Amino acid sequence: MTDWIASEPDRIERPTIERIERELLLQATREQVWNVVTSGGWLAETVELDLVPGGDANFRSRASVKTGWVEDASMPARLAFWWATAGEPATRVELTLEPAGDGVTRLRVVEARPLDVLDLVGTPLPRVGGRSFGPALAAA
Amino acid sequence: MFGALSDPTRRALLAAIARQPAATATELASELPISRQAVLKHLTALADAGLLHRERSGREVRYRVTPEPLSDAVSWMAAVGGQWDERLAALERRFTG
Repeated sequence: MTDWIASEPDRIERPTIERIERELLLQATREQVWNVVTSGGWLAETVELDLVPGGDANFRSRASVKTGWVEDASMPARLAFWWATAGEPATRVELTLEPAGDGVTRLRVVEARPLDVLDLVGTPLPRVGGRSFGPALAAA
Repeated sequence: MFGALSDPTRRALLAAIARQPAATATELASELPISRQAVLKHLTALADAGLLHRERSGREVRYRVTPEPLSDAVSWMAAVGGQWDERLAALERRFTG
């Protein structure tokens, strides 16, 4: 019943609809994919990411402005961050880049809502706009 | 209801309709890279699943997202999932084009 969430149902670890998973194979190196997904024009029109744990993250598009923080940035393998539109609960995004042979990179995207993340991480919900939650959770 | 959302095009369509008060098949076909005929087919499936509400407006039929069966979680899935589908499609175009 929930296998419509992902293209590969056997990869779902927890059957919940509060979680979005996507996977894509790209004819590019991880470095090339990393450069595109962390630059403006992909996550939002304007992207400012301080790629250190607890670093600020700002995403601006015509339709929305999101702010958040970086949980983990391991170039070119993994980027995890939190983002939220003002007044809305933050969600956690994790991008994983794996070599898939012959100049091909597998990009995996997971975006999860707080309740789901709570179960996964076992930590209190971060509040966007707060000051110390970022590094605290990143260090957990 | 979830079966109707199994198709990425339908999720993108639902997300596009959710962004505006109501939309016609013609408007949606201009926003998405699919024909009006294909849009109509997906709209029918979504309406049959109770996810969309049809209303006649002059000679056109406008579609609106039904709030009821579309719980908060499902509408989040449709909207945010649709955004990721668009981002991944853009990435794919970039590295194959």
